[in-house]
Amino acid sequence: MMQWRVLLQKEWRDHVRSLKVLWIPLVFVLYGVMQPVMLYYMEDIMKAVGNMPEGFDMGITDVTSVEVMASTVGQFHLIVSLIIVLSFMGIISKERKNRTAALLYVRPISFSSYYFSKWSGATIVALVSTIIGLLASYYYTVILYNEVDAWRIAALIGTYSLWVLFVVTVTVTASALFPTGVAGTLAILLTYFVQLIDSIIGQFWTVSPWKLGTYAVTWLGSKPDSSDFWLSVVVTVIAIIVLMFVGVFGARKNMENIKI
Amino acid sequence: MSQLLQVSALQKNYGQHEVIKNISFELTQGTATALIGPNGAGKTTILSMLAGLLKPTNGQIQFDGIVGDPRAAIGFLPQYPQFNSWLTASEFLIMAARLSGLTAQTAKEESEKMLQFVGLKDAANKKIGTFSGGMKQRLGLAQAIIHKPKLLLLDEPVSALDPAGRLDMMNLMKSLQQEMTILYSTHILNDAEQMTDQLLFLKAGKLVEQGSLQDVKAKYEHRQIVVEFKVVEEAAQFVVKSTLSAEQQGNIVILQTDDMQQVIRELAKETFTIRKVEQQSASLEEIFMKVAKL
Repeated sequence: MMQWRVLLQKEWRDHVRSLKVLWIPLVFVLYGVMQPVMLYYMEDIMKAVGNMPEGFDMGITDVTSVEVMASTVGQFHLIVSLIIVLSFMGIISKERKNRTAALLYVRPISFSSYYFSKWSGATIVALVSTIIGLLASYYYTVILYNEVDAWRIAALIGTYSLWVLFVVTVTVTASALFPTGVAGTLAILLTYFVQLIDSIIGQFWTVSPWKLGTYAVTWLGSKPDSSDFWLSVVVTVIAIIVLMFVGVFGARKNMENIKI
Repeated sequence: MSQLLQVSALQKNYGQHEVIKNISFELTQGTATALIGPNGAGKTTILSMLAGLLKPTNGQIQFDGIVGDPRAAIGFLPQYPQFNSWLTASEFLIMAARLSGLTAQTAKEESEKMLQFVGLKDAANKKIGTFSGGMKQRLGLAQAIIHKPKLLLLDEPVSALDPAGRLDMMNLMKSLQQEMTILYSTHILNDAEQMTDQLLFLKAGKLVEQGSLQDVKAKYEHRQIVVEFKVVEEAAQFVVKSTLSAEQQGNIVILQTDDMQQVIRELAKETFTIRKVEQQSASLEEIFMKVAKL
């Protein structure tokens, strides 16, 4: 525990001093706010730009806040995994490459405290950014449109947070296993592309971590199918735990690859 | 004195390539050992295995009197220590100390002492990213000794430094010799000669020579006595008269003998003006060249 705390403090200083704690939440908030604001002012924007045929009705003035929120999460979903992967794909591999890891590995540290310090640091930044981003979007949706049940938003954020945890774990573990470039590519494939595939041919199955984004949105309307949803949660949690074990193993195995 | 470390039949392969071939040696507590050899001989590989960064393919590394994780009792300074550049020197040292098991309070106190010891007190709160090579090397030494290890491993601690930095570093190392066993690699032999109880000569992954500095030197002794005269004529005269095999180089005469008594007796027969008579011993430099050719 003590090692984990000391290493996490180092991670935190890195995230603070590299301004990750600033720009990641900022991007997430921007993305969260953009959709409700854009939709709200779309008509004005179109009028200002001109070239609208006489009597053309966009049909966007009467969208409900639930629809706005849903499309926001859709937008949000497109960049969240991308930004998390790009920000943290070198979190372990970079330390091997630039050899700073050597001075840590010669000390009696356990690789699990090493891996979990990395994971915790990335998770704090990613989760807090996600929550702030979604809350900002919720806030603008409420003031520009109408009220959404708070519990629905809480359920949405909770479900979405699990997806973010999954993305962070995939990224950190890939970084423990492979060099930065390979780790980044693999993590993007496993989050972004599989999710695309899932959205194209995913109607054939109902349980997978890549469905969490969709399930998060369904909290706004009906509610996700209970058993499918909870099974997906369980599968995701199991996947995260397995990935953590693999990550600790990978970090230990790659120790020999540090050139000193 | 008791033994600290015993290495037996150590072997490291990378695929088919044998980098370290069957090496055995011992380190006695409180001694300084120099690991000498040309580039690529495997010095860094050996130190990395002792530090626990690499796993030996074969053989044993046995620490006597160290219970638990041996890494807690080892300090290691890599040849080019790399630090997380966003940390300050003091933050880094405190982290290093805590990871080696010191409490928060002790870590703080020790890091201050260490920064003082290596002369980085004024830079304690500067980011390591702004440090010069010499400063990084000194910080590297500080992190290697902050937890008072029993065994200190230094990989080429002085080769990257300028003469002043080298002298500093050697002095720091000498002051540590009282407290810990030191094993360091170097190819600056002058420095090795100043601070060595034991020599390990490494060549192409094999230990080609080992022993105390005196023993190794005696083995490669020249058996030469050099006499320096004030004038060339006297030197020439002496060469003619001497019963020993002598060779003249200007005002210097080199005698192939180690019998100092006889040389002095012969010199005393005449009234030469002599500047210097000395028994020339082989320098490590020469031994290195001889050993490297084996």
